[in-house]
Amino acid sequence: MKRVTVLFISVLIMLGMLAGCSGSSGGPQEKSSGDSSDQKGKVTLNFWTFWGSETRRPVIEKMINDFNKSQDDIYVKHTFLPFGDIWTKNLAAISAGNPPDVIINDINSVQHRAKNNQSTNLSKYIKDDSFKDNFYPRLWDTVLYKDQPYAVPFNTDTRLLFYNKKAFKEAGLDPNKPPKTWDELEAYAKKLDKKSGDRYERIGFYPLWGSFGAPSWLMNADNGQGFLSKDDKVQINTPEKLEGLKWLKSWNDRIGQENVNAFKAEFGSEQSNPFIAGKVGMWVDVATFYTQIRDFGKDMDFGVAPMPAKTEGAKHWSDGGGFVAEVPKGAKHPKESFEFIKYLTGEKAQSYWAAKNFDNVANKKASEDALSKLSGNDEMVYKQAVDNLQVTTMNPVPADAPDYQNKINPLIDAVLLGKETPEKALKKAQSEVEKSINK
Amino acid sequence: METAYESAKKNKQAAQKEVAEPVKKYRIKSLRKREELSGFLFISPWLIGFVALTLGPLLFSLYVSFTNYNITSKMDFVGTQNYQNMFFNDGLFWTSLWNTLYFVAFSVPLTTAGAILLAVLLNQKIPGIKVFRTIYYLPAVLSGVAVYLLWMQLLSPSTGLVNTALSWFGVRGPAWLFDPEWTKPALIVMKMWSVGGGMLLYLASLQGVSKAMYEAADIDGASAFRKFFHITLPMITPVIFFDIVTSLIGGFQIFQEAYVMTENGDGGPVNSLLFYNLHMWNKAFEVFDMGYASAMAWFLFVIVLVLTVINLKFGKRWVHYGGGDEK
Repeated sequence: MKRVTVLFISVLIMLGMLAGCSGSSGGPQEKSSGDSSDQKGKVTLNFWTFWGSETRRPVIEKMINDFNKSQDDIYVKHTFLPFGDIWTKNLAAISAGNPPDVIINDINSVQHRAKNNQSTNLSKYIKDDSFKDNFYPRLWDTVLYKDQPYAVPFNTDTRLLFYNKKAFKEAGLDPNKPPKTWDELEAYAKKLDKKSGDRYERIGFYPLWGSFGAPSWLMNADNGQGFLSKDDKVQINTPEKLEGLKWLKSWNDRIGQENVNAFKAEFGSEQSNPFIAGKVGMWVDVATFYTQIRDFGKDMDFGVAPMPAKTEGAKHWSDGGGFVAEVPKGAKHPKESFEFIKYLTGEKAQSYWAAKNFDNVANKKASEDALSKLSGNDEMVYKQAVDNLQVTTMNPVPADAPDYQNKINPLIDAVLLGKETPEKALKKAQSEVEKSINK
Repeated sequence: METAYESAKKNKQAAQKEVAEPVKKYRIKSLRKREELSGFLFISPWLIGFVALTLGPLLFSLYVSFTNYNITSKMDFVGTQNYQNMFFNDGLFWTSLWNTLYFVAFSVPLTTAGAILLAVLLNQKIPGIKVFRTIYYLPAVLSGVAVYLLWMQLLSPSTGLVNTALSWFGVRGPAWLFDPEWTKPALIVMKMWSVGGGMLLYLASLQGVSKAMYEAADIDGASAFRKFFHITLPMITPVIFFDIVTSLIGGFQIFQEAYVMTENGDGGPVNSLLFYNLHMWNKAFEVFDMGYASAMAWFLFVIVLVLTVINLKFGKRWVHYGGGDEK
């Protein structure tokens, strides 16, 4: 145990040494893009991303190349690091005093990094007051710490309801009328269930599969209010969230915990998504899930809709994450770095990214511009994703208690497993989180 | 036999002795010093590595445990604040400690007994025993993440091999990794699967037990049962002791299993697999509360140290260090 800590720290120190030795030649696994003879007399920027996949890498590298070609003073070198350790490496590089110049980082923890001196305040470099108007306001809010920007939003995502039109027809449902409320969702789900004996062949819907977890459903139930308000007031134990939690539990009761577990254990591996395999009728996921349907679904007939609202008339609240471009603390060329960030988050680059990846970009104009480049299913999914941003909330982690969810999730688990009542669990979660935030 | 040359040399040496004594002493000393120096020089790669990469960070982490260090922005001395938070403000600390103790309390005795049992069975002289030995040792060769992924499949509630096998006997298996009551037993079962490493040690020591003792016992008319408890077991106690001490320390270090086998590596349903090290990892590398994580590390070090000292103390009472056959 002690050895483990020692190991971690040693690794950190070694990483620091490595970063220190490599000097201006950049971090590990570097892969420069473009012609290196262009570099002479220019400021070289190290740009770290985790976009190394076949679909994303060419897109980001083309964006960088375009930038390099247009520049007389700045040359950007792209370094790919795996998602699993890019941020730990960044941290080690910051503490060794030799960080990358620009890095793509998580949007929901910008404040935490700003508070802990891990990123650079960009307000000095943003000369234009209207700069923030380029972006969706909810995204811009996440990059502010004490009203100062510490990053620029790059992309975001939003959860949508995907549904299997063929299964809808089979169950006698109108394939052009996806469920709009929780009640409808439940009624549809029951119709979509297919059983042989007491085993399910198809489960119509189960709310906690896909990427809309219990916290998201409770936010949806509580009129878009997450566990923490904007000024970090704890609002876990509210009547609406309690109703939401009871509703989630009712799914477990109806389908049976055993069936839920059995189904879930089967699709532990990602190569066979149960929605694409037709084993689940409706599925909540981010818009880019569409690329999986497109590539593995064999012309699957599917539709996409906003999240069902709790009651008729309520909003179709969804939630989102995303990524920002930021300048780590101690980077040597913040001015040039911001120049590059301005390009990355500008209309042209963002529109290219959006149309290639069906990803929600942070730049408003680019987001709309990309739509005109798409058609068919591409357009259907992307348009829904863009529209959905109106009802998408972000959940920035509080700077003082970044792990507050660790205190809530086990209690929600306990409720779903029937080991705790919803009332007691929320009450306990409320007081525990209050304790950790007011510590 | 002494040759003429040798005796001549001896005389010469004796004659020189009185004169040369002080010089020689000095020479020997400097030689020893030089030898010492080159000794250190030879092990210097290790020494530098030890000081820079082990001792240094170790002492650093001890200091850090009394600060609010978070790698980038602060490192203020906060006294015993971290330790106080650990004991009085962090419910998850106690959960993780309890989970770890539970795991150690069951896995150490079970894997030890399992390894001994297996070794005794595989110590028989029957045809093809080498094949069996290889088969039972194989799981110990495989290790790490691949094994955990394999076991996640085996323990799958409805189609996993474990529950399928149980259903042949009319037993409805539990949901294993999805049911907080069964997650730790599931992990302990998994650990039992790879007792091959310990088995090998026991097998070696079993074969070192003198046959004369068994022969003597046979003459006295001892039963197989008696022979096992009065000859075999006492003779292999040094290995049992070694096995218990090391697997106890290893048990407290459990981390990977829970990190890989639970969703998002968060410690499983209702924190049932939130082991001490996993909680510490989360504190250190999810929220960068290095001070707190270091405090946790040192507290676990104390626990393991105390248990090991107790082990060593009580070990004297039951561990039998016999000599060879002659004794």
